[in-house]
Amino acid sequence: MTFPSSLFKPINWGIRLTYVAEVDHRDTRLADDLYFVVHHDRTGRMRLHPRLIDLGLAAAILGELMLAGRITVQEASGQPRLVPVDPEATGDAVTQRALDHIVAEPFHPFRVWLEFLAKTARRDVADRMAAAGLLHPPGRGLRRRWVPVDPDVAVIPTGRLNLAIQYQEPMSTQESVLLGLVVATGAAKVVLWDPGSGHIRATIASLPPPYRELIAQTTAAVGGAVLSRR
Amino acid sequence: MSLTEQRQSVVTAALAKDALGVPSVVFFVISAAAPLMVSAGVVTTAYAATGVLAVPLAFIVLGAVLGIFSVGYVTMARYTVNAGAFYAYTSQGIGKPVGVATAWIALIAYSVLQVGLYGVIGPALEPLLTEWFGVAPPWWAIALVGWALTAILGLMRVDVNGRVLAVLLVAEITIVVVYGIANLFAPAPTGLNLDVFNPANFFVPGVGALIALCGAAFSGFEASVVFSEESKDPKRTVPMATYVALGIMTALYTLSAWLMTVPVGKDKIIDAARDQSTELLFGLAGQNIGSFAATIGSVLFVTSIFAAMIAFHNTLARYVFALGRENVLPAFFGRTSPTGSPAAGSLAQSASGLAVIVIYAVFGLDPLTQLFFVAGAFGGLGILLLLLGTSIAVLFFFAKRTDLNETAWRTRIAPAIATVLLLTVLAVAMANFDVVLGVSPDSPLRWVLPGVYVAAAVLGVVWGLVLRARRPEVYVNIGLGPEADLRRRP
Repeated sequence: MTFPSSLFKPINWGIRLTYVAEVDHRDTRLADDLYFVVHHDRTGRMRLHPRLIDLGLAAAILGELMLAGRITVQEASGQPRLVPVDPEATGDAVTQRALDHIVAEPFHPFRVWLEFLAKTARRDVADRMAAAGLLHPPGRGLRRRWVPVDPDVAVIPTGRLNLAIQYQEPMSTQESVLLGLVVATGAAKVVLWDPGSGHIRATIASLPPPYRELIAQTTAAVGGAVLSRR
Repeated sequence: MSLTEQRQSVVTAALAKDALGVPSVVFFVISAAAPLMVSAGVVTTAYAATGVLAVPLAFIVLGAVLGIFSVGYVTMARYTVNAGAFYAYTSQGIGKPVGVATAWIALIAYSVLQVGLYGVIGPALEPLLTEWFGVAPPWWAIALVGWALTAILGLMRVDVNGRVLAVLLVAEITIVVVYGIANLFAPAPTGLNLDVFNPANFFVPGVGALIALCGAAFSGFEASVVFSEESKDPKRTVPMATYVALGIMTALYTLSAWLMTVPVGKDKIIDAARDQSTELLFGLAGQNIGSFAATIGSVLFVTSIFAAMIAFHNTLARYVFALGRENVLPAFFGRTSPTGSPAAGSLAQSASGLAVIVIYAVFGLDPLTQLFFVAGAFGGLGILLLLLGTSIAVLFFFAKRTDLNETAWRTRIAPAIATVLLLTVLAVAMANFDVVLGVSPDSPLRWVLPGVYVAAAVLGVVWGLVLRARRPEVYVNIGLGPEADLRRRP
């Protein structure tokens, strides 16, 4: 969907979102939000190189664990590590599996977790969203794309970010982390109306340290992925 | 991570599945070296443009020097962040201002080498086009097509697909070996001897340009350390792969350079190379084997050049990206594009390539002797400088870090020998740049090309010092590549 001028964007988006927001009070998950941001809302086409999406979603899963208070970041022998702080079940299979791995092998550096989770993140998150009725699984024949069930719902995370930046509104921790991951994976130029806005940097800078470390590690991992020769 | 933890780690096992063994790393390294391009293009141009007979000897000498250099290099790589780039070594070994100077020299050298390839693809493809279609387009038309393809593929982050590269590489090596054997069995009266290995033929005017060209031919071997994170057992895989790759490249280049003289005769090889230039290898194959073999070889020659073009372009784009991430170059170059490619660096490199093609075309300069050869020698000189800088960095690094558990051979003896050898090689190379430009030995122009590197080095050091004074937060990150993001908290 294209708008003739960016002036109309906030107005149209505002109307659309207000309508949807009135009927939708669901708390969304960070990884689901990021998935919607980096895929096209109607066709489900990837907006980024798959490897970048993998890393972003892996970080989002870790972010969900952090938001749920299950893990945090600590320095150990000069390297940041993920440490489990609350053994309670997360109630969600994807994050539970990730948490189980971290509890079993807490000695790995942060970056290793990103690389490890990136191998399965895209598929795991898509499965979870399909189970929640947010995505159509690929199904028949050659169609390998996961298409959003309702484009109006798929567009919400991007719209909320853009409106918050436009009107310089303070964002919740989850939204700020989402914004940070959007920037770290290079999606900012594609989905944000004003990728150069100072509000973006300020929002990310105001995140608590564990989340800032998450964003920094993701940025470095993405840089490594760009540099990699495979 | 303790050994027990490693053995039982599900995570490590999962990541290890993608890990590379020695053959894969060797393979990636050699594919960047483009063996057929060197055999058909560099070797013949070396004979023709330098007039020196000792081309095979030069390859062996340089291969040996690089082998000794690699000992210290792969050892220091274990302790170096952003190990794939020479400037990381000089930053972390000698100092950050020197690191900036190294980065700038590397940018110039790799750019020049990439652009030089545009000079050889025309002469390589044109005979085929004439034979098949009867057209004879000017070299720059062919170069522009190659340029456009490289630019597009670079933006799309398409490294030549691993399997395609595998097939091409095996085919190229097979062709080089087959041609070599065929040449061996069709000797000219003055051909079958080892005279080209006579050191007396080595110390003649022009040998410096030859050595610089050989330096260019080997460039890319240093890429093996980039794969340390992705390899199965970095401590063993990377050094082994480096030596194997160097060994294979040296053997291939030396043998094909020598075997080219066998059917022609050592007294006629220079003239033959000047007459037939890049067609010489295929002309010989046509005589000794058959025109079918010659045609296959010619086609693979073109694909080889193209693969090298893409490889250099991507290396450069990544370099610029890493420097942008550190803020040593404007941060704009370090931005991730949605395609996952280092887009800004790719575009910058494409722009410089286009400029060079246009200039050479407009001024009617010869693509082989004035673009390919000059660029090859100039770029090769830069590579030798980078190697020297890294070798010195290795010495400094291990002198500082006495806490590390590495043998004296690896940390002091081999790097010291390598440094001395590289200094000698460089001195010889610098001494002969009048030949490269085709000017008389008294002309001041002969110092222009080496002077560019000196200027880049000086300016680089100055810029590093300026950064230290004015922007210390950027200075701290020099040499770290993408890891610089971890130092810099928003």
